[in-house]
Amino acid sequence: MSDKSNQNISELIDGELDKNSSEFLLKRLMSDKTLSESWNNYHLIRSFLQKENQAPLLHNMGQSVIAELKGKSISQDMTTSKSSRLLKPFMGSAIAASVAIMAVFMFQSNTINHDNTILAETAANSFKTSDQLITPPAAYTARVEQPIYNTRYPSITPQIQQYLTDRNAHFSDNLPRYYNAEYLNQLKKRKTIDNTAE
Amino acid sequence: MSEKTLDAELVKQAQKGKLHAFELLVNRYQQKVSNVVSKFVKDIHENQDVTQEVFIKVFRALPNFRGDSSFYTWIYRIAVNTSKNHLVAKSRRIQNSNVEPSDAENFASAADYRSLDTPDAVYARGELEQAMSKAVESLPEELKSAILLREVDGLSYDEIAEQMKCPIGTVRSRIFRARDAIDAALKPLLSENTKRTAYVR
Repeated sequence: MSDKSNQNISELIDGELDKNSSEFLLKRLMSDKTLSESWNNYHLIRSFLQKENQAPLLHNMGQSVIAELKGKSISQDMTTSKSSRLLKPFMGSAIAASVAIMAVFMFQSNTINHDNTILAETAANSFKTSDQLITPPAAYTARVEQPIYNTRYPSITPQIQQYLTDRNAHFSDNLPRYYNAEYLNQLKKRKTIDNTAE
Repeated sequence: MSEKTLDAELVKQAQKGKLHAFELLVNRYQQKVSNVVSKFVKDIHENQDVTQEVFIKVFRALPNFRGDSSFYTWIYRIAVNTSKNHLVAKSRRIQNSNVEPSDAENFASAADYRSLDTPDAVYARGELEQAMSKAVESLPEELKSAILLREVDGLSYDEIAEQMKCPIGTVRSRIFRARDAIDAALKPLLSENTKRTAYVR
């Protein structure tokens, strides 16, 4: 390394080097170990001359600070990855629990909006009614007047009746069938009446 | 490029994540920060720890530095706050620990025993300071005056040229030659010190 470079560093640390040379020298300082050594030593001389009584003389603290920073960032990464690994199973169960709570909450808010008689029937039969399956809580429902015995599904609209009939016809027996609790109860009652009559 | 602009440039590079730029900044301000810390923390070993802590805080807070004040003014505030926090934490630690009355009586007079520095490190530091002191003393008068006017009195090159009644180019040369001569006296000690540290570690 030439004396000229060292003189430039000496001027740079005093803020007496022109802008272009300073920028160029700074770039070199970042990559050239010998130059940065001169930077450190010239600052050590400054430290010695400016040192106050109680203060210790420091040399190249930058190296230990950078090592500390690198060590901390690595250990932080390690602790975060460790904690995330530990938390993973808990996170899974937490998600499952929150989904279950949401489901219960939605089911409750849905049932509150319905007629008490339908609720009672549902509870008794442990089945969901067509209203529960199809009607969202905030939906507007239109009542369609129909003779009760003209249809398999007396409590629902003709469009839905058609849809259910089509779907049940389409699926084979091993797939779930759409049914109506009211109709099922009526069938059960008829069977019981027939049995007692026989 | 003025010293303020130089700092601003190094800060800009450090903010971009260039650790080497931050290392240059630390080496540039380590002694000034240590001097500030020493006003609060008298123990040499603690001083070093607190000074290091100051620079770690500075690095973390670097994205928030907007350059409204000078870099030194900013780190000065961080150094004062860190030193005060250290003293508060230390007083809490002392309150919580059971100190024997005899130990407390000897605490003030036993500074040498309190220091956690190895004898080697103390010796090396003393040796370094002695060598520097000797090198400064043995400088030719015009070089010594130039470096002292710059480093101790903080004069600019123009002001030194005026005071020494010589061209500014001569001042540049004198200050550099003074630094170079002291550096030449230090180099063997510094390399020996590095080897020693490496061996201890």
